[in-house]
Parts: sequence; structure tokens; C-alpha cells
Amino acid sequence: MKEIACASGVDLLMDYLEGVLSADLRSALDAHVAGCPRCVAFIASYRETPRILREATATALPADLQASLRAFLRAQRSVPPAED
Amino acid sequence: MSMVVPTAEPSDETLAARAAAGDDRAFEAIVERYQGRVYRLACRLTSDTDAPDVLQDTFLLVYRHLPSFRGESQFGTWLYRIATNAALMLRRARTRRPAESLEAFLPRFDAQGVHLATPAELQVASRADELLDRQALADKARGVIARLPDVYRDAFVLRDLEEMSTADVAHALGVEPATVRQRVHRARLMLRGYLSDLVGVKP
Repeated sequence: MKEIACASGVDLLMDYLEGVLSADLRSALDAHVAGCPRCVAFIASYRETPRILREATATALPADLQASLRAFLRAQRSVPPAED
Repeated sequence: MSMVVPTAEPSDETLAARAAAGDDRAFEAIVERYQGRVYRLACRLTSDTDAPDVLQDTFLLVYRHLPSFRGESQFGTWLYRIATNAALMLRRARTRRPAESLEAFLPRFDAQGVHLATPAELQVASRADELLDRQALADKARGVIARLPDVYRDAFVLRDLEEMSTADVAHALGVEPATVRQRVHRARLMLRGYLSDLVGVKP
């Protein structure tokens, strides 16, 4: 089986996690990571990065923008304001 | 994209059909259902300043194009594609400041291709949200995503922040799935290193 180093392992990570890596490369990466605490740690942080940034950028729509959007769309459609 | 909609609520497709037939309440229900997600997407792809315009453009386009929605994709996917295009159009109209390089945040290896950092250093980015102040992290996160080269930003925002499938991102951006994966990977590497740097550890 082909041996890989951390650097080439990093290049394969996305395809590995998306399940599109060939079986031989997958086995080679599994074998490398099993004996490499650095890659275990790196992969953990690589996988957490999207979640951390997703949560940090989860902006809520301000109420005033919601109201102005509603007014804008009504004006565009020339719909009189609802009575509710 | 899968949507969790309570069964008592009309489906997106039902609302879309009613709105296309001129039912204004159905259209407003669609706006109500999606405005938060479109705004969040717009902030991530453009800026807080431009997001309100993207929001308006998106729902105006949705309204105009509803009669041509044929249900070939899920309604949410269709609407997201419109929102993405509206954001990218608006961004193109803006003068871009040159992207600052984030290459310094890529992982570093020795001559044998072994990570230079220790396992503890390599892991620390995964705890950035525990180690940093919430508001400071939010500000930094918005800032660094805006610093990514556009092609990486778009792929990362849609795939990782909006959690669209790679196939849907590829379709929305007009590139191959392999290109999406390559761009998302590159963005993740830079952003991971950036988070690491934020908590004071070299990537």
C-alpha cells in the first residue's frame, strides 16, 4: 500500500470526508492517520472550522429590515396593506 | 436542501403554486419563511450594508419568476439559487478592494511533509469558540470570510455555512463538483489556520 505523509494526507482530506476518494487512497490515509497524532489533531480542527464559522456568522434578520422588506414588496406589487 | 416544515403548514410547493396564481398571502408566507435565511446568506456573501438590497432583489425576482417555477428542483433550492445570484450580481457592481492574502494561515510542513506544529497546537482551532469572546469571534469571522478570494468565499459560504450539497453548490456557481471541493478545501485550510492564529497559535 502507498505510504503518505501529513502534507499529502491534508490534500486528500476534503475528498475523504465527502466520500469521493478512491479505495486505495482512503486506506492509505486511514493507515497514516492511525499512527499520526498530529493528523488526528489537524483533522479535528479542520472538521470543526465550518461549524465554528457557521455559528459565528448566524446573523438574525433585524425587525426593521423585515418591516421595510414587507413594505417594499407590497409597493412593488401595489398591494394595499393587510388589515391583520 | 431539506426543510423542516410542520405538517400543518402548507408546503413550499403549495405556497409557490398559490402565489404564482396571484395569492398575495401565499407570497407573503414564502417571504416570511425564507427571509431570515436569505438575509443570512446575503450577509455572508456580501456585507451587512449590502444585505438589505440583496434581500429585496431576491424576493422581487422570486415574485416575478414564480410563474416559471416548474418544480424541477426543490423550491428552497430554486430560491437559494436566485438569492445567490442576486448577491453575486450586487457584489460584482461594487469596487473590490484587492483580496488580502490568507496564505500565511495554511498548514506548515517540514521537508518530509510532517506537520511542524504539535498535536496540541494543531487541535486548538477546534476550540476557538470556547476560547474567544463570542462577539469578537463574530466580528473576526465576518471579516476573514470577506478577505477570502471570491471563488473560495462563494464555495465555502454555500457549502459549509449554508450547508448546501456539493452538487447544488456546483450548479449554483456553474462549476464542476470537483472544483467546489477544491475551493472549499482551500478555504477551510486558510480559515482553520486563521482561527488558530486568533487564539495565539501558529497554524
